Amino acid sequence: MTSIVRNQWYVAAYGREIGRDLFSRTICGESILFWRTEAGPVTAMSDRCVHRRFPLSQQPSHLVGDTVVCGYHGFTYGADGGCVAVPGQTRVPRTARLKSYPVVEQDSFVWVFIGDAALADTTRIPRAPWLDLEGWTAVSGMEPLAARASLLVDNLMDLSHETYLHGGYIGTPEVANTPITTEVDDEQGIVYVSRHMADAECPPFYATSTGITGRITRWQDIEFTPPCLYKLHSRIAPVGVLPAADGSDPDAFHVEVVYAITPETESSTHDFWAVARDFALDDQGVSDFLAENNRTVVLQDVVALDVLEKVLTGEPDGYQELSINIDTGGLAARRIIARLAAQATGDAAPARTPAARTPDDARTPAAAGR
Amino acid sequence: MNPDLTLPPPRRVLDGERVLRVNWLPGSDRLRGLCHCGAEAEASDPVEMWEWLLAHPDHPAGGPVEPPASGPLPAPPAHLVTDPL
Repeated sequence: MTSIVRNQWYVAAYGREIGRDLFSRTICGESILFWRTEAGPVTAMSDRCVHRRFPLSQQPSHLVGDTVVCGYHGFTYGADGGCVAVPGQTRVPRTARLKSYPVVEQDSFVWVFIGDAALADTTRIPRAPWLDLEGWTAVSGMEPLAARASLLVDNLMDLSHETYLHGGYIGTPEVANTPITTEVDDEQGIVYVSRHMADAECPPFYATSTGITGRITRWQDIEFTPPCLYKLHSRIAPVGVLPAADGSDPDAFHVEVVYAITPETESSTHDFWAVARDFALDDQGVSDFLAENNRTVVLQDVVALDVLEKVLTGEPDGYQELSINIDTGGLAARRIIARLAAQATGDAAPARTPAARTPDDARTPAAAGR
Repeated sequence: MNPDLTLPPPRRVLDGERVLRVNWLPGSDRLRGLCHCGAEAEASDPVEMWEWLLAHPDHPAGGPVEPPASGPLPAPPAHLVTDPL
């Protein structure tokens, strides 16, 4: 049973990673070759020559204009993946073509559609405009994770682990009397977890970078569009300062933390991360701090989840886990992912939380998929 | 208004017509769920809370299943490992 949800858009790379050099990345178990045509757009196709499966990203394979030439025998492919020349003969076999992939470059990301290309509706790609928007400055990176994507989803949907796994970095004590609301919009495929603190202590970083003195109104809103794009909207303002009625919010400081959770294989994940802000735009010190701080946090997660993946694969199926209130958002995310997976495979969508009830309140996540 | 509800209602950020909501107050043991149809209930287990909300339009009367608060429990099982770290 695959854990990868097909017929979905996934972030494959940052736009800056792809140029006129051949670039390869495995997405959802598919080895994909990316390159830019001379006109600029990114194109994507299988990274294996149909002849003897030599990787087209492997030297001496190379680009000639808007064609890629296999470095083994010279099979030559166009930007649409079709073979335009083979060595030693004029006839190009009809089956000599590479699978091509729908690609969209948007918000600094290169998105690729995995699944039936006929279903690749570009309007379904979730947005993260702050990563490439006037008035915002962003830092970003990607860390390889030797763990299944669902472990990163669990991790990001529950901020309570910050106190333990990231103590001293982003851990913030839970503020009593500040409710956490989880909302699920099945039709839009969104899980939204919000915590709005009316009167909170200002962390030193924000005090320094924003100039706010005293206590703050602090909002933390998670918006996850399964299976790939996760956003943490963070708003900081002096106590009592709220957005205007028209939705503008000129007196607050905003940080958008974005993750793209892209399966590499069943048991490994590309952990894309980015942090955008609408203040101190030209302050390199702030950029450096945010980049280093966030990468440190990501790597702490990577270490923990890599171990967890090993543990999960080193035990029999049917292990038990227990969910408590902090898991409310994570459970909602799992359910949407299970529904998307069922839709993609043509199975009946699970109508309820995929939680098989078992005696003694035991949970069987392997069977229940949660 | 259900007098048994102890938590404040959930915040409404999403504006869809079929949004399910659960509110939790850190430090509290309770969750408050609100269906888009207006049905609401409290629970102490997030799995049961979602089960109850997702049962729309047939939300079980009496609210989500509550785990037994007392009584003997079986001994926890050993955690089996086939491939130690």
